[in-house]
Amino acid sequence: MSQVVFKMPDLGEGTVEAEIVAWRTQPGAQVKEDDVIVEVMTDKAAVEVPSPVSGRVVSISGQPGDKVAVGSPLIVFETGSGVETARSQPHPAPGARGLSSAAAAAPSPRAPTSAHVPASPQAPASPQAAASRGTSAPAASGRVMTSPANRRRAREAGIDLAQLRGSGPGGRIVTADLAAAGTGIGTGTGTGTGTGAGGGAVAVGAVGTGPRAEAAQVASRVAGAVPPVEGTGSADRTEVKVIGLRRVIAERMTEAKRTIPHFAYVEEVDVTELETLRLHLNASLSKVAPSAGAVAAARPALTYLPFIVIALTRALESFPQCNATYDATRGVLIRHRPVHVGIATQTPDGLKVPVVRNAQALTLHELAREIAAVSERARTNKSTREELSGSTITVTSLGKLGGIVSTPVINLPEVAIIGINKAVERPVVRDGAIVVRRMMNLSSSFDHRFVDGYDAAAMIQLLKEHLELPATMFIP
Amino acid sequence: MASMNMVQALNSAMDIMLGRDPSVVLMGEDIGYFGGVFRATEGLQRKYGEHRVLDTPIAEGGIVATAIGMGVNGLRPVAEIQFADYIYPGFDQIVSELARIRYRSAGEFHAPITIRTPCGGGIRGGQTHSQSPEGIFTHVSGLKVVMPSNPFDAKGLLITSIEDDDPVVFFEPKRLYNGPFDGDPHKPAIPWSTHPKGQVEEGYYRVPLGLAEIVRPGSQLTLITYGTMVHVAVAAAEAMKVDAEIIDVRSLVPLDSDTLCTSVRKTGRCIVAHEATRFSGFGAELLSIVQEECFWDLEAPIQRVAGWDTPYPHAFEWEYFPGQRRIALAIRAVLESA
Repeated sequence: MSQVVFKMPDLGEGTVEAEIVAWRTQPGAQVKEDDVIVEVMTDKAAVEVPSPVSGRVVSISGQPGDKVAVGSPLIVFETGSGVETARSQPHPAPGARGLSSAAAAAPSPRAPTSAHVPASPQAPASPQAAASRGTSAPAASGRVMTSPANRRRAREAGIDLAQLRGSGPGGRIVTADLAAAGTGIGTGTGTGTGTGAGGGAVAVGAVGTGPRAEAAQVASRVAGAVPPVEGTGSADRTEVKVIGLRRVIAERMTEAKRTIPHFAYVEEVDVTELETLRLHLNASLSKVAPSAGAVAAARPALTYLPFIVIALTRALESFPQCNATYDATRGVLIRHRPVHVGIATQTPDGLKVPVVRNAQALTLHELAREIAAVSERARTNKSTREELSGSTITVTSLGKLGGIVSTPVINLPEVAIIGINKAVERPVVRDGAIVVRRMMNLSSSFDHRFVDGYDAAAMIQLLKEHLELPATMFIP
Repeated sequence: MASMNMVQALNSAMDIMLGRDPSVVLMGEDIGYFGGVFRATEGLQRKYGEHRVLDTPIAEGGIVATAIGMGVNGLRPVAEIQFADYIYPGFDQIVSELARIRYRSAGEFHAPITIRTPCGGGIRGGQTHSQSPEGIFTHVSGLKVVMPSNPFDAKGLLITSIEDDDPVVFFEPKRLYNGPFDGDPHKPAIPWSTHPKGQVEEGYYRVPLGLAEIVRPGSQLTLITYGTMVHVAVAAAEAMKVDAEIIDVRSLVPLDSDTLCTSVRKTGRCIVAHEATRFSGFGAELLSIVQEECFWDLEAPIQRVAGWDTPYPHAFEWEYFPGQRRIALAIRAVLESA
């Protein structure tokens, strides 16, 4: 018998940690090689991690919502008797399927690390052992590691330290982790803030000479901290832990809104001609369909979306500054020749942005098919990681729920997002007379750091021109 | 005010007390005619006479025992033990008699006795002239234990000790007799005249026992020390540009734990430093008190800087001496933890 410690693999370029979304196995269970053992979420994608070996699960480290550092022990297996289970290339990450992403960065998967230790009482297979070796894996059981001062701050703020993740050496909870937990606890200790390092009300309670317990009670009442325990709540109140895809969405939205000065621009587009063309093409499609299934499969019914994407690729030829991504670490704006269009897609898990690559090279029907395909894979958790990253501009459409105006949030690190509102017939004035036309608004946002308002407006006007005179988008 | 080194300041204190109080007598080996091996009592026998400044045989047990007898009969003896390393023949008298005389006699007798003794290394004294045994005496109930780090405190503390009606063991860090010492033996010696604490009032004044002094205010960490190490600590903090609060304990018993703990509650980080050996040293007591009183304010484990647990080596004096580098390591350790 021997034990295999499987460590959190590096699931993509630059990944330093991954969040456990759900365990698919449990201690005591038998697993076969390639069985999915755990779903994890990195900053870039959700991934199903397959088992590197066949055997019995001895222990697992971390609960859903916990972040585990790459290289930290994730699960311990006991493999069959006498068999040396050395596996120098354990399980390549490419085998893992990406489930979702909120964007960017070309993945360069590396093989996950795994270590083999003989089964013995001393086998450092427990999470505690991992923590003591200096990883930042939170101890799944046992004591939380932090300084006495942080214990006091947590107690006074009503925080359950066991719910926090330590970023210090050995997974220790440092003052910054408390601050990150949104407690209002500053990180200025050691520079003179002293006893009053808690939030305002906390400090007052703690400075005095009165009983600390009393101060702590007062402080926790005043601070109003909510213990972030999953599954608590009553009929009036349900608490949902923000983990997995929802956490990634939250983080990316916050980052986009915090770092990008959004410039919003709304224009109305007369899509009467486009609608005529679309209906014509769909009608001719249905005539072909009954007798030629293959053609039907290749030519799904057309929505506005493929037309808009084609028009967009044409408009971007004149406005390369809008088909760009910003590398903030290097301070470089990268203009892209190919147009990789992100298609904002609502899925049961939340927003995902699958990517149609080289949209500028696809025909109308190819685009329609590709858009449908990537969206469907996103909705059914079948997207590859590549499919969920690398877009250069994003289109977001709510279809029938499109409304009149929206203010889309730019999909970092892109610099523009095109929002499509609902197309409806409206009375408009043409040549001095009121006529009924099918009108649709485009609500777009631009990164004002890199796209000037003038250029943004001109780009949308060109897009409008293509959509109002649909023939122009097909003329090179 | 006059510029004095620590020897002159101590001499001044004894001179003043001999003049003020006819019950004060000095006694010890070579302190009278010769004026003391470090010159602390120079000129005092000539000034006050052989009945006030007594040369004794080389017998520390006898010195302490005689002092006790004089003390309980109304005198106020100041006994010098030539080196702290020589104090052990008198240890039984100090522990079994001197420290307990008030308790044993239910308050009928008391022993207003000061035992002065030079301590510490840094003068190539080897294992028999370099020891810092203060921790042995702080462990004995009934003794007060003092160690100044500069001439001004030395004089004021010695006057207070002599006037105290109970026994005080007064340790004098001999490396500081002639000047402050930052722990670097390769630098030219600096005289006390360059240091503010080398300016000493010529007349009578007291520095109370049981009162620590914040030598250098700071916010990042608290460095608790005494004796020679005060100067080493200040130099280390300044070299590292660390905003350390450095506290000179001055009076080990009674201990000003309020000042220590107030500081640690402020900074959340603490280092304890002394020249004496580490194991069961006085630093362990300081650390315990800080831990008991300030546990919930600690950001990092308390660090100890001390001499190695060996006799003070002659050849490797500067490897043994806990200099700036060892303090710097402790500073780094307490600041790295969060």
